[in-house]
Amino acid sequence: MIGNIFYHLRTNLRLTAGLVMFSLIVLFMLLGPMMVDVRQARPLSTFPSQPPGPDYPFGTDDQGRNLFAAAVVGVPMTLRVGLIAGAVGVGVGTILGFLSGYLGGRVDTLIRGTVDTLLTVPGLVVLISIASIIREAISVEIMALVVALLAWMWPTRTIRAQVLSMREQPYVQMAKLNGVGTWEIIWRELMPNLLPYLAVSFVGSVSAAILASIGLEAIGLGPQNEPTVGMTIYWSIQFNSLIRGLWWWWGVPIFFIVFLFVSLFLISAGLDQIANPRLRRVA
Amino acid sequence: MTKPVLELQDLRVYFNTRRGIVKAADGINLQLYPGERFGLVGESGSGKTTTALAILRMIKPPGRIVGGRVILDNDIDLLSLTDEQMRQVRLKRIAMIPQGAMNSLNPVLRIKEQMILTMRTHGAEGSNGHMLKRVEGLLASVGLQPNVANLYPHELSGGMKQRVCIAMAISMRPQVILADEPTSALDVVVQRRIMQTLRTLQEQLGAAVILVGHDMGLMAQFVDRLGVMYGGKLVEVGTVEEIFTDPKHPYTQLLISSIPSLHRKRNFQTIPGMPLSLHEPPSGCLFHPRCPQAMAHCSQIVPREIEVTPGRKVLCLLYDEELTPAAQREVVDDTAAS
Repeated sequence: MIGNIFYHLRTNLRLTAGLVMFSLIVLFMLLGPMMVDVRQARPLSTFPSQPPGPDYPFGTDDQGRNLFAAAVVGVPMTLRVGLIAGAVGVGVGTILGFLSGYLGGRVDTLIRGTVDTLLTVPGLVVLISIASIIREAISVEIMALVVALLAWMWPTRTIRAQVLSMREQPYVQMAKLNGVGTWEIIWRELMPNLLPYLAVSFVGSVSAAILASIGLEAIGLGPQNEPTVGMTIYWSIQFNSLIRGLWWWWGVPIFFIVFLFVSLFLISAGLDQIANPRLRRVA
Repeated sequence: MTKPVLELQDLRVYFNTRRGIVKAADGINLQLYPGERFGLVGESGSGKTTTALAILRMIKPPGRIVGGRVILDNDIDLLSLTDEQMRQVRLKRIAMIPQGAMNSLNPVLRIKEQMILTMRTHGAEGSNGHMLKRVEGLLASVGLQPNVANLYPHELSGGMKQRVCIAMAISMRPQVILADEPTSALDVVVQRRIMQTLRTLQEQLGAAVILVGHDMGLMAQFVDRLGVMYGGKLVEVGTVEEIFTDPKHPYTQLLISSIPSLHRKRNFQTIPGMPLSLHEPPSGCLFHPRCPQAMAHCSQIVPREIEVTPGRKVLCLLYDEELTPAAQREVVDDTAAS
């Protein structure tokens, strides 16, 4: 098992690069609080509009936040939104996808119909409506659940498709012939086949959820008092940082977003290579 | 005579298709006695596998078991069981060895994992260590090394996979084993060894076997009695000697004479005509359009089961000495209904 992991890391450059990049972010989250006073993530705690320098590595914003401290506090929040929403999305999607694909019949019609209908609804509109209704009370966790509301449909649809093709496999037929029960077939026979796919799906959902949450925050619908990555962008837009040449203000959050997305993409693509050996270049 | 362990009475499996009802198994009567090896032969689409799957109630829509009884152990009619009761019968009392062993094992589970899972769903209890011992014992009984338990299916050869399937089939000591062309994808050497293994185990367990297939040579070596299917009907039943030396039904006669022989070198004998289409079955006897001995009334009368000698049954008008008015009426009803 351990040897297997090292084998994949050695041959799968994308996965390795993605994991290294992600580890750097985690390292930043862990070590950051030791390098800076996180209270400086609040407004009026430092000198405003300072360019990056020895005192403020990422500079400060117009309202006197230390952007390094804001990143130390905000990046984990954004990641948490992504992880919660991704987990809820893939979790719900897995359950519904399995029910729909394996049981078929009316259950399938109902679930698939609902998903297909909801998929045509523009997600951002729904998210904006919901987020603006509960704007006052919004916290990081609630934000995650709001994003999760629309994060389960694609996993449902794709997992259903996987299950549909798997359930016709001869070994499933054989398990039925051997009198293995429906739930045992789903959990013990099908689930292990789907694990790599679920991992890929999870990483994809996390990125989608992060993107959705940053989108909401950037238009001011996130947790108002938290320096999440999206909120930093929101404030930098509000204060016209682009025109005023405060490049570090919008540059820092964008750097973190890009870095995070590239790492998640590489992990996802790398996992895909494991799940689907035909994509491997090295045998 | 002893009581049959499995008895099919007038088993009917119909498929509702867009082009009408297809009678894939139509009025199968069969008695299987304990410890006996019964062969079911017939051309593709004659209903062999359908019959085997119907015994386990594994017919999928649009197929449906529309009538008949499947009596296990002179006691329970499998067709009247609840789904949960039927699930318990599968493997524990009637096990199936699948047609394509290549794909019948879950690719991501180790052999021991699949075998233990299957056994546990049938109430096998014990620690994992104890279960592993059982698995290794079963693997040894089919001639595999104990370390096979730790392997994944892709690490096994076709013959080894088939052996694993046999080990799984006998794991709960079933009374009946349905073997659906268990060796069709294997070369003859492996084939022979697998059949020997199956035979030894079957004799040890005292289980009855239904071997489905179309390899007459294999049948001749393995089974005691043989049933010949044509167009969803069991047209002839007899001991393997009877069928090979004295086939009664014209279809069986042609089937036997089409077996190539080393001693008689000549052109292949074939059965004239096209294989049957069950979408548009001929009237009367299904075989009459291809039958060299067809008589005038063969296209009108549906043959009934004639017992020529005890245990020797044939579905052919040639042997029906009393074509009763009742039989005639059945013809009329049947054509009127369709």
